[in-house]
Amino acid sequence: MACTVHVASPLRDYTHGAARVQAEGNTLAQVLGDLDRRYPGMRFRMIDEQLRIRPHIRIFVAAQEALTLERPVLPKDSVHLLCALSGG
Amino acid sequence: MSISLSAAEQQRYSRHLLLAEIGPAGQLKLKAARVLVIGAGGLGCPAALYLAAGGIGTIGLLDFDQVEESNLQRQVLFTTADIGAPKAKRARERLLALNPQLQIVAHQTELTAANVQQIFAGYDLVVDGSDRIGTRYLVNDACVIYRKPLVSAAIHRFEGQAMSYAPGRGPCYRCLFPDLSGAVLPNCSQAGVLGVLPGVLGAIQATEVMKLLLGIGEPLLGRVLVYDALTLRFDEFRISRRPDCAVCGEHPSILAPADEPGFCSVEEQRRVVGISAVELAQRIRGAGAAADTAPLTLVDVRDPEEFTVGHLPRAVNIPLTLIEQQGLSLPRETPAVFLCRSGARSLKACALARRAGMTMPLQLEGGLLAWREAVEPGFAL
Repeated sequence: MACTVHVASPLRDYTHGAARVQAEGNTLAQVLGDLDRRYPGMRFRMIDEQLRIRPHIRIFVAAQEALTLERPVLPKDSVHLLCALSGG
Repeated sequence: MSISLSAAEQQRYSRHLLLAEIGPAGQLKLKAARVLVIGAGGLGCPAALYLAAGGIGTIGLLDFDQVEESNLQRQVLFTTADIGAPKAKRARERLLALNPQLQIVAHQTELTAANVQQIFAGYDLVVDGSDRIGTRYLVNDACVIYRKPLVSAAIHRFEGQAMSYAPGRGPCYRCLFPDLSGAVLPNCSQAGVLGVLPGVLGAIQATEVMKLLLGIGEPLLGRVLVYDALTLRFDEFRISRRPDCAVCGEHPSILAPADEPGFCSVEEQRRVVGISAVELAQRIRGAGAAADTAPLTLVDVRDPEEFTVGHLPRAVNIPLTLIEQQGLSLPRETPAVFLCRSGARSLKACALARRAGMTMPLQLEGGLLAWREAVEPGFAL
């Protein structure tokens, strides 16, 4: 079952400009893996080589912050990808 | 010193005085307040306008830049006649024209670790509307260290974020985004921005200032507000103070504001010389002018995983994070072109190369996305 992922503006280069996309998975790791299959390279902009969420990225599942990639994701959950912005 | 509202002020602020949450006592608080706005840009202009209209007694405007024509699409304090004029000074004139009863201070300077303490000492609250991530951290750290409330916002294309900080009452900006080393965050001049977007966020910042000064409502403390203009959605997310935060945590490692050496100034980025995808293709094929046909070193600053997916022939992969940490190991005279996916990381890499003394580094404008668009449609990214 797919969940809805809300994509931060700086990451929309990967989703061809889409603000909301669908991705499948029962955990955050699976959802991000599915996103990367659909939009190659996107996962690495959020997750580093040590499988940590990068410090300029925050990820929220059902409005709760996900601190690890093992965070369960239910089909009705929304996943929000938040990215630091610098424009003023 | 006791202050009061004159008859003219009572008339001007009459709609505030009608509000039980403000009234004469609240308006006097606003009159006594001193608010510093960092950046007279897309965010700072509307925020400062509402602060001045609302009667904030002392407003400082800090910006070292001049008005450019491309600013006028969103920086609503300026007019066409202001092009080339110093922003802080011209903004001061506009705000005084709106409300001559105020003290408006123009700081036509760049905020640095050397001047932040002295400048902040004259204000009770800071509004961050800067367009440099390094300045955002400097402002945040100074607000935490000098115990000043801070109202932050930032924008990118059609999205904006806002949050407030008050000493002892919640997380700071570093709790939200602890460290941006390795991150590349294009500003408005690189990524583009919907002109009205900073109007929304700047008005939210002014709202937050009023609430914090008056002690009313529920400020954005411990919450980050995210606005998407395309979907017209507001989302908010709760964030917590990090016990290990480098500046507001239990054992802070940042004890004094510091300039961020890894971040490039606006001036440094402006000095970067670009090369278009078409021109680069010509140079690679040797089709340019004879004087320009020296072999180019193509430095791909993307991460190795991205490089593996696809890269230009003979390009070398030196990730930006490596350049930031270890500097460039290329000879200074190398005719190098820095490139990445969209142009943001290579801009920073190119600026760092110039800082390191490289004589003529170039940056692929629009990155490999532009290359795919203009030169090689099947290029894998």
